[in-house]
Amino acid sequence: MSEQTSELRKKNIVVALLLAAFALLVFFTSIPFWTGIFRIVGNQAGG
Amino acid sequence: MSTTTLTHDDAHHHETPTGWRRWLYSTNHKDIGTLYLLFALTMLFLGGASAMVIRAELFMPGIQLVDPDLYNNLVTNHALIMIFGAVMPAAAGLANWMIPMMIGAPDMALPRMNNLSFWILPAAATMLILSFVVPFFPGGGTQINTGWTLYPPLSIQVGMSMDFLIFAIHLLGASSILASINIIVTLLNMRAPGMKLMQMPMFCWTWLVTAFLLILVVPVLAGGVTMLLFDRHFGTSFFDAAGGGDPVLFQHLFWFFGHPEVYILLLPSIGVLSHVIPTFSRKPLFGYNSMVGAMLAVATIGMVVWAHHQYTVGMSLGAVTYFMIGTIIISIPVGLMIFNFIATMWRGAMTFETPMLFAIAIILMFTFGGLSGVMLAVVPADMQYHDSMFVVAHFHYVLMPGAVFGLFAGVFYWLPKWTGHMYDERLGKIFFWTNIVGFNITFFPQHFLGLAGMPRRIIDYNVMFTEFNVLSSFGAMIFGFSHLLLLYIVISTIRGGQKAKARAWEGADGLEWELDSPPTFHTWEVAPTIK
Repeated sequence: MSEQTSELRKKNIVVALLLAAFALLVFFTSIPFWTGIFRIVGNQAGG
Repeated sequence: MSTTTLTHDDAHHHETPTGWRRWLYSTNHKDIGTLYLLFALTMLFLGGASAMVIRAELFMPGIQLVDPDLYNNLVTNHALIMIFGAVMPAAAGLANWMIPMMIGAPDMALPRMNNLSFWILPAAATMLILSFVVPFFPGGGTQINTGWTLYPPLSIQVGMSMDFLIFAIHLLGASSILASINIIVTLLNMRAPGMKLMQMPMFCWTWLVTAFLLILVVPVLAGGVTMLLFDRHFGTSFFDAAGGGDPVLFQHLFWFFGHPEVYILLLPSIGVLSHVIPTFSRKPLFGYNSMVGAMLAVATIGMVVWAHHQYTVGMSLGAVTYFMIGTIIISIPVGLMIFNFIATMWRGAMTFETPMLFAIAIILMFTFGGLSGVMLAVVPADMQYHDSMFVVAHFHYVLMPGAVFGLFAGVFYWLPKWTGHMYDERLGKIFFWTNIVGFNITFFPQHFLGLAGMPRRIIDYNVMFTEFNVLSSFGAMIFGFSHLLLLYIVISTIRGGQKAKARAWEGADGLEWELDSPPTFHTWEVAPTIK
C-alpha cells in the first residue's frame, strides 16, 4: 500500500464518511419504509 | 490540487508479497482488480451453466430435464448471478485495475476498504448459491420461484432459501456501496496534479457516474428487501395485502433500484468503448464534453422512469404517460453517445482487432436492443409485449452487447497491459465471431416467439413455438461453449506469448500506456504532472 500524506488521508476519509452518511440517509429515508412503520405503529395503537 | 505522493525507502513496500497472503490481505489495486475479474469469470460460468440448462429444457415443448420449480429457481439464480456476480464485479475489476493508472494515482484512496469490498463478495456468492441449493436438503423449504424481481406475495411465501437470498443481496449491496465510495473518493481526491475533472479519461467519468448511481439506488433495494424480511418473519405487512400492505409498493422500490441498475451495468462498458474506438480509429474521441453531458443526462433521467417496468400493474393514465415520455426521452442522450462513437470512427485509420470488433458489434446490437426498448416504452404496445419472450430478447440485446461485450472489449484491450503479453489475435477473432453468431442465433428468434405470444418464465410451451425454440437453444449451445475459448485465451496470455510494449496499441493514448506492460507492483509513486 502506498503511503499518503496525512492531509490527503484525512481528506479521503472525510469524503468517504460523507458518502457513507448519504447512503445511510437514502436507506433510512426511503419514504415507503417510514410510511409502513407509521402504519404499523398506528394499527397497533388503534388495535 | 493537494495530491502528493511520498517516495520512501522502506524496502518492504516495494516487494511483491507472495503466497495466499498476497491475495487475502491485498491492498494493491491491481491484485484486487485481478481478484474481482477472476471472481466474475467464475460466476460467468456458473450463471452460464444455469442458462444452458434453461435453454436445454426449452429445446423441445414438454417437460424434459427439470421440474417447473427447479426451472424457476434456475431462472432466478441465472439473473442474480449474472448481474451481481459476473457483470458488476467484472466492471469493478476493470475499475480497480485501470482508474489509479489512468489518473496517475498510486492506488485507490482507501486500500483497506478496497480489500473489504472484494472479500465480502465470496461470502455473498456463497449465500446466493445456498439460496439455490438449500431447498434440495430435507427441511429446506420450497425453491425460489419469483425470478430476480422477488415480487411479493410469492416472495413472502417461499421457504428459507429466500432468507439466504435476502442476506446475499444485503452483502452484495454493502460491497457495491463500499467500492463506489472508494471509487468516488479516488476520482475526486487522487487525480494527478493538473488533471481537471473535465480532463479525466472517459472510463473514469463513466465510473464516477456509475458509483453515484449505486450509492443512490442500492440502499433503496436494501430497504425493500429488509421490509420483505420483516414481512416474512416479524409480522409486518408492508407488502401483504391481507394485513393492509401493498405488494405494488415493493415493485416501485425494486424498480427504483432495478432500472438505474441497467445503466450501472451499461456505463462502465460505454467507458471502455470510449477508449477502444479512438485507439483503433487513431483519432481522439469525438465530443468529449457532450459524452459527459449525455452520461449525466442518462443517469438523471434513468433515475425517474422506473415504473415503465410496471405498466400492466394498473397505474393512473397520467403516471403511465409520464413514465412513457420519460423513457423515450432517454433514447436522445443514448443516441448522442452512439453518434459520437460513429463520428469518432468517421474517416479514421481504422483497424479491426478483437476489442474493436466487439466495439462495432456493440454499436450495432445495442442500438437494436435500444430500438426494441422504445417499442416496450410505448404503453399500449407494452400491454401486448409484457412478460413475453420479446422482453427477454430485448434485455439480452441491451445487456449482453451493452454490458458484457463491452467488458470483453475491455479485457482484450487491456490484457496486454495487465499480463505483459499480446493475446493470440487469431483466437480472439474466432472467439468474437462464434460469440456474436451464437448470441444472435440465441436471442434474435426470441423476438418472434414473444410477438407470437410465448410467455417468459414458463417451462413448457405450445408446439407452435417449437422451431424458433430449437434454433434459440442451438444458438445458446454455440454461445455458451464459445466462452471456453475466452478462458483458454486468457490463461494462455497470462502464461506467455509475444511481449507487449508499454503502449501495446499504436493508437492508444493515456497515462496507463506510459507504464510498463505489465506495470510494476506499485505505480505512479511519484505523481505525473498533467500540463
